[in-house]
Amino acid sequence: MTFSEYLSNSYENLIELSLEHLQLVAITMLIATAVGVPLGILAHRSSVLRPPIMSTTSFFLTIPSLALFAIFIPVFGLGSPPAIVALTLYALLPIVGNTVAGLSSVSPAIVKASRGMGMGSWRRLGLVELPLAWPVIVTGLRVSTQVTIGIAAIAVFVGGPGLGNEIFRGIRSLGNPGAENLVYGGTLAIVVIALAFDGAFVLVRRFTTPRGIR
Amino acid sequence: MATDTATEHPEETIGAQTGTPVKIETSSTHRSLIGWFGMPVFLILILGATYIWIQGRELDSIEQRVLNQRVLTEKLVEHLQLVAVSTAIVIAIAIPLGVILTRPFARRAVPITLAIANGGQAIPSLGLITIVVIWMGIGFTPVIIGLVAYSALPILRNTMVGLQQVDHSFIKASRGMGLSPMQVLMQVELPLAIPVMIAGIRTALVINVGTATLATFFGAGGLGFVIFQGIGLNRDPVLITGVVMASGLALLVDYLAGVAGHFLSPRGL
Repeated sequence: MTFSEYLSNSYENLIELSLEHLQLVAITMLIATAVGVPLGILAHRSSVLRPPIMSTTSFFLTIPSLALFAIFIPVFGLGSPPAIVALTLYALLPIVGNTVAGLSSVSPAIVKASRGMGMGSWRRLGLVELPLAWPVIVTGLRVSTQVTIGIAAIAVFVGGPGLGNEIFRGIRSLGNPGAENLVYGGTLAIVVIALAFDGAFVLVRRFTTPRGIR
Repeated sequence: MATDTATEHPEETIGAQTGTPVKIETSSTHRSLIGWFGMPVFLILILGATYIWIQGRELDSIEQRVLNQRVLTEKLVEHLQLVAVSTAIVIAIAIPLGVILTRPFARRAVPITLAIANGGQAIPSLGLITIVVIWMGIGFTPVIIGLVAYSALPILRNTMVGLQQVDHSFIKASRGMGLSPMQVLMQVELPLAIPVMIAGIRTALVINVGTATLATFFGAGGLGFVIFQGIGLNRDPVLITGVVMASGLALLVDYLAGVAGHFLSPRGL
């Protein structure tokens, strides 16, 4: 069976697995952003909390992805939950790191000026610092999403959803005719998703960056 | 200098276009006691606690088949071999390539090379290794090739960033002192680029320790075997032993590379 025959036979299956993959990545990124950006703000504002926050998030990224997935099996059992938790921990560092980097890159003169205008700490954060740091934060979200899309393929080993299932089906039948098509199909779909997200992030960054610093 | 150059100005550096996580150095030249001894103490505690916990359990026959000294030593050695060989090869390829690409005559090839390298990062590790195995069959060599391909970018990128960040006036001054371009490279540029380059090697090492856990599927063994046995046989003690050994190795390698980076950096920096 050629690859094009495989594609025409099982494109419905591939699309379904792609949607599962997208869903897994989307849930992960929503949680990771909701946790990571506030953590980054906290790390930027408190020099006491910065070292523990940074070293904990980089700790998670050091752990082998398979091990991080597996360690949550005794807690959550097989399926989506261990995959989502592990992926979220993985996704944190680029978001936290870039939030801190973005906020630190805001010129002290601008911060002082906004204080001089009578802005309180939180208004300054919302109206001045975050908008100026935004392009850097979006870059963090983009890197984090790319990492998550690739590593989500490993979720299959803890019974998770997504395109890893297609690749794993190929691995289990390696040597049989057609096995390579499953691997190519699953891998190709992941690459397509990754590139699509990358393009989307370029647009998001372009259109959500404040006019003045574009 | 708490953060990597790539995080500080993400949109200005080459690092911004990659899918690779940027490693954050949590401490700099002034390491505290916790900075130096925190990780070794943590590792000893975790490994010790796991060992005592496993020793204190009645292992059933299935658990004993994996959790014995012979199997665990064999898998650890296999894992170390995979990481050492793949990292050595990737250093030997990516550093010279990075040096060549930062020479003036190669300027035009830089965007193309980085585009290929960054595009390649979109391929998931699992798919990449499996594709190499489809082409070459299972075993040690194809897995090594997969690992090398997957971990090349951080070293290539950091070599280039490290060399490009060297102040141009230093290079001009050295040329004015009569050094040849080769001498400038060896005596000025490379020493100044070493901290950033070692950060890249450190990232590649961690990636290799992690990706090598997949090697067991392709007949190359490694600690992934223990984890997969734990999942497949539904035995938490086996799974946790595998997780602790693989994670412990990654954290240890990361720590040692951090220490090496500290001592190999030129004094003046």
